[in-house]
Amino acid sequence: MRTIDDFTRPLEYISPMCDLLGSIFREWTEKEVIPYRRRFDEDYLEHHLIHPPFKKLLGEYGIQRMLFPEDLGGWGLGTSNYLYVAAYCMFEEIARADSGMAMAFGVVFWPLLFISLEPHVNRRLLEEFAPMFCGTNEVTFAALCMTEPQGGSDIENVEIVKGTTIQTTAVQDGDEWVINGHKLWPTNTGGLARLMAVVCTTNPGSDDPRDIAVIYVKDDMPGVTQGPPYDKAGMAADMNGDVWYENVRVPLWYRAIGPGDDAKYFGEIMSTGNMGIIAWISGTMMNIYERVSEYVNRKKYRGKPLKENDAVAGLLADFATHIEAIRIIGYQCARMCDRHDLYGPLWDPGLVAKMRAQRYFTVDRFIDITGRVMNLMEAYGADRDWDVEKHWRDVKMLQMVEGSKQLCQIEVARWFYEAETY
Amino acid sequence: MNDLELFPYPKHRLQATDLDLAASLKGLVEKQIMDKRLELKEDYEQLLKPSLGKLMVEIGLQRMFWPEKLGGEEHNEPGAAYTVVAALEQVGRADIGLAFQAAHSLALQAALALEANYMEQQCAAISPLFCEGTQPLIVSFILPAFAEEEGVPEWRGKGLQVKARRSGDTWELNGAKVRPTCSGADADLFGVWCAVEGENEPAFILVPGDVPGLTRGEEFLKTGLAASRNADLGFASVKVPASACAWRGDEGLYRLLSWYYLGLAAAASGALLATYEIIKEWGDNRVIKGRGQIFKENPLTGALMGEIAKDIAVVRLLAYNLAEILAEPGAYGDAGSLAVFTSALIIVHQAYVAAENTIHHTMELMASAGYAKEWQLERYWRDVKTVQCYLGAYELAKHDFARWFYGTKTL
Repeated sequence: MRTIDDFTRPLEYISPMCDLLGSIFREWTEKEVIPYRRRFDEDYLEHHLIHPPFKKLLGEYGIQRMLFPEDLGGWGLGTSNYLYVAAYCMFEEIARADSGMAMAFGVVFWPLLFISLEPHVNRRLLEEFAPMFCGTNEVTFAALCMTEPQGGSDIENVEIVKGTTIQTTAVQDGDEWVINGHKLWPTNTGGLARLMAVVCTTNPGSDDPRDIAVIYVKDDMPGVTQGPPYDKAGMAADMNGDVWYENVRVPLWYRAIGPGDDAKYFGEIMSTGNMGIIAWISGTMMNIYERVSEYVNRKKYRGKPLKENDAVAGLLADFATHIEAIRIIGYQCARMCDRHDLYGPLWDPGLVAKMRAQRYFTVDRFIDITGRVMNLMEAYGADRDWDVEKHWRDVKMLQMVEGSKQLCQIEVARWFYEAETY
Repeated sequence: MNDLELFPYPKHRLQATDLDLAASLKGLVEKQIMDKRLELKEDYEQLLKPSLGKLMVEIGLQRMFWPEKLGGEEHNEPGAAYTVVAALEQVGRADIGLAFQAAHSLALQAALALEANYMEQQCAAISPLFCEGTQPLIVSFILPAFAEEEGVPEWRGKGLQVKARRSGDTWELNGAKVRPTCSGADADLFGVWCAVEGENEPAFILVPGDVPGLTRGEEFLKTGLAASRNADLGFASVKVPASACAWRGDEGLYRLLSWYYLGLAAAASGALLATYEIIKEWGDNRVIKGRGQIFKENPLTGALMGEIAKDIAVVRLLAYNLAEILAEPGAYGDAGSLAVFTSALIIVHQAYVAAENTIHHTMELMASAGYAKEWQLERYWRDVKTVQCYLGAYELAKHDFARWFYGTKTL
């Protein structure tokens, strides 16, 4: 019997460690997530069901230590050249169960990339934050706070908007930053985040990249307020809310890298985020394949399994073809993230554009083909017990995180056609 | 000009009473539903059920087709098709699930009480349920499905979920894990397209919701349509009188479905009018790129907004065009003909494919506001997709199209 493991993976660059991690994650999802996920939507506010599996994976298994150096209690993956392929394997397995959970998992590490990757490792900050992630069996959520009420994805559009719209300010006062502002929608907020990387401006309205600052803030610092979680169409495990900073004081050395470099390496964040989104889509498609396979075997049409009908076969083939293609694209993205020596730095606008292109292409393909698969399942396509509709809702949201589809299109056109005005 | 009048429709074909009804419903749903949904969200007991009562009982949608002598409005000429669209478009603009419910009721009324096909005995038996009560009468259908479990009789390539056996002056119905089109948990009356033991011709049998032997499973969770609390049903030797059989043969079912699809197409049009209002507000007020550029003035986003408007206009025209087809049987054939049924099926599928894509695009433009419940758009997206699933498998519906247009025999 065919399984999801029969879909192609680029075996020539998947290490044994990836398979080991994959099997650990699959066992965790089978035991801790899949049996409960149909009730996640109603759990968006409290995470009574969602939190325990996170605690096991990130805290008790210790996965949240991954990026930290071994001498600080971590696994040292931050400076490896197989981080992203390994991440792809993990992301795909989690998303097979719940892409909201996969996103929340990924974002635990995302803000830490500013300080844990070569050539911009910030040892002092790693030492500062290591106890939060490596010295505990409790889960520590992190968040990357970018979006603001007035600008939506303008902040992600660094190359053109150049930070001019950022309204969260960081003002130096002696040996401290004083932060004031309001952020919306960061993953892992709504009360969860213990550590936040906050995108600020040190000079409001400036288009000088040196004035874009990424500064870490702990949730228990005076002046930090997290609002309640938003109610959304899906992705309940990805908790989002408002975050307010009112005269929050942090040490100057809490700035991620430094003037100019915070903005420069922001591109790295964009590239890796887009790679993650493709992995999450790929994972959800694996599960849809499993559920649809069960459906077309169980359901009969004119006395034969539904899958034996030629018209149905055409659609099923399209779906399998999409999985094949999207998975190959996703692994290629992960490989491009790992091998700077071959593909250039992750913060390069060309690489950012390519990741955007591959992400929005795969989401568009997912939405089209999964919508058609839902239709094939008739009333059961919209039935939560069959899980497909959950993935359909969740992935639509992945199309819009980290900048809308139109932002992706603009960045892709700008780079590939050397446009200058948008 | 009212924003909704921007999108063309054959206004000259509507009676003054249709326009008045649409205007009344527009005001009602805005006050009763749209103004309250931020607070009440999709709460069935507090928002949706009372709203259904207003629409069906106070406005009188559940009395529309029945003769005056039976307590109805006797609006049962073919031109009522325009009324259905004008009304359900407004209801769908507020909540597709409520329009979905109303479409069931109106389709059953049309199938039984249209003047050209008036079924006197059935109308006399059934209409009091619609005309005399003070509560909405919730109607649901059990229709053939393409894909079924083992041992289900076939009709036109689809599986019949319930089997009926005639014994004297009684029908006995049996079926397990039966999935109705809506409101399995609440419906007062089920219209069941049954396989008849020992015969090739199915029967459409009306089954009251409180008849012994009819069991309801637990309400299941689904993508949208909160106004329809659905649950699977069991029919264990359910007995109804012989008169409960409304009709035998395809013509009656095609007539029912043609009118049902009309209501659903109108609901899609209404949902898209709501989508227009949401994206218009967004496009008028959102500033992007930090240069004071209004969202709708950006060439890329403005173009996509234009495409959204185009698709809304086309769906509205399609819905009204189906009304035209049903309103003019002399020109297009009876609603129970295969030709009209096929046209209705094509239009409703096209309307929902377009509606799904249009709302997808709108969500893309609004990014996180598109999927935040606060902005209301996502509920239309979920509802549209759910209706589309309940229409049946599109891959196999295409066989119905082929059967008519190409004379396909074996599909």
